[in-house]
Amino acid sequence: MPATQNLPLKNAIEIRNLNFFYGTFKGLKNVNLDIAENKVTAFIGPSGCGKSTLLRTLNRMYSLYPGQRAEGEINFYGQNILDAKQDLNLLRARVGMVFQKPTPFPMSIYDNIAFGIRLYENLSRSDMDERVEWALTKAAIWTEVKDKLGQSGLSLSGGQQQRLCIARTVAVKPSVILLDEPTSALDPISTAKVEELVSELKKDHTVAIVTHNMQQAARVSDFTAYMYLGELMEFGQTEQIFMKPARQETEDYITGRFG
Amino acid sequence: MDKHISSQFDADLTNVSSRVLELGGLVESQTRHAVYALAQFSAEVADQVIASEKQVNTMEVEIDAELASIIARRQPTARDLRLLMAISKITGNLERAGDEAERIARMVKQILDQGSPRNLPSSELRIASDLASGLLRKSLDAFARLDVNTALVILKEDDLIDAEFNGFVRKLVTYMMEDPRTISASLDLLFVAKAIERIGDHAKNIAEFVIYVVKGADVRHTALSDIEQAVK
Repeated sequence: MPATQNLPLKNAIEIRNLNFFYGTFKGLKNVNLDIAENKVTAFIGPSGCGKSTLLRTLNRMYSLYPGQRAEGEINFYGQNILDAKQDLNLLRARVGMVFQKPTPFPMSIYDNIAFGIRLYENLSRSDMDERVEWALTKAAIWTEVKDKLGQSGLSLSGGQQQRLCIARTVAVKPSVILLDEPTSALDPISTAKVEELVSELKKDHTVAIVTHNMQQAARVSDFTAYMYLGELMEFGQTEQIFMKPARQETEDYITGRFG
Repeated sequence: MDKHISSQFDADLTNVSSRVLELGGLVESQTRHAVYALAQFSAEVADQVIASEKQVNTMEVEIDAELASIIARRQPTARDLRLLMAISKITGNLERAGDEAERIARMVKQILDQGSPRNLPSSELRIASDLASGLLRKSLDAFARLDVNTALVILKEDDLIDAEFNGFVRKLVTYMMEDPRTISASLDLLFVAKAIERIGDHAKNIAEFVIYVVKGADVRHTALSDIEQAVK
């Protein structure tokens, strides 16, 4: 039974009996997990354990690839997003994603933000200006770029690019933000800024983050899920996972005994 | 203990653990010598106890520095983190047990300076002091083997020392009433008895941290029955 069921928290996402297949290979095995609203949930585990796969099911990113399919239920505020009738564009506007490598569009900083908004909303010039500033402020990069909004997004440093991408995701006001190793290509200072940002984001968003950096999971998350070989091995409050995990497998991994 | 991927991390943990045991051995012998000095009223042995206090202090500081270095470099979690936390606390308890041994030694010298120590019931402290130094040794064994069962035994035996202490205090009172000239020396002995009782307390604290390392349960300020429940 998912650990958060004991707590008085509202769940944004409830995953039930989720199985995932890459062709015939089973990437996720009967995963059950609740993702609490306005909390940060971290997925940790060794390479190939299924943590990114799990993250990618949450906005059906995998649907872009033939041969990949999911079975079970992912209830997003009560609605099963694995349903064939699910509007994927709408889903991805509500469940935004930021990737490992910063992926700014080859356009101005301003348009990097405005581009996504235009897909869903028809804003006046002044409303759009306001929204772009709001998103860039939310992503803690406004003061760094406000005087060069016309410059290419690619002219920014790696850390700034990543925060630009977070701003782009925030701009369409998603309810959930998925972060797939968002700092693995960044230096420690940029990493710290993104981590600080994650704590800010959870005030308005539910956050799920995949990270190889266990200390990062310990620093930023409220809940931690440890995955291994496609299975959810242990899920609980981050403090409990890092101080006193219930399973030996989890303990071995987080203390560096895994081998 | 099973191995980390980083063998240097294993070596660091093993090293700092054995330093604690080394410190523990030193404090244990300090305690035994203090008890011997008391039983024999030996100023010479008391001086040795007082002299070794410096070494205990130095080791405490060195162990703390090693702990800080491991925490900074390894960012330990779970059992590793609990082990390092426990070592920090155990080291503190050992150092204070050493202080108590030193206090006993100083009292022995003071009683000797005042003369005529032998008509005081110092030998009655024998049982309590043997219990205390034995408990300290046991607590170090429990730590070395991370043995929860031994730790539980220690928690129970500490009550025996407390009972001995209370009995001894009652006895001292009768001596003082009988012969007021013994009051001054009796008070010294009272401090000695208190020091012995405190050494037992430190051994008990160490046992509690052994349980913390192994079970992840913080059993300080917890009733024995609840502790037994927690470690099941």
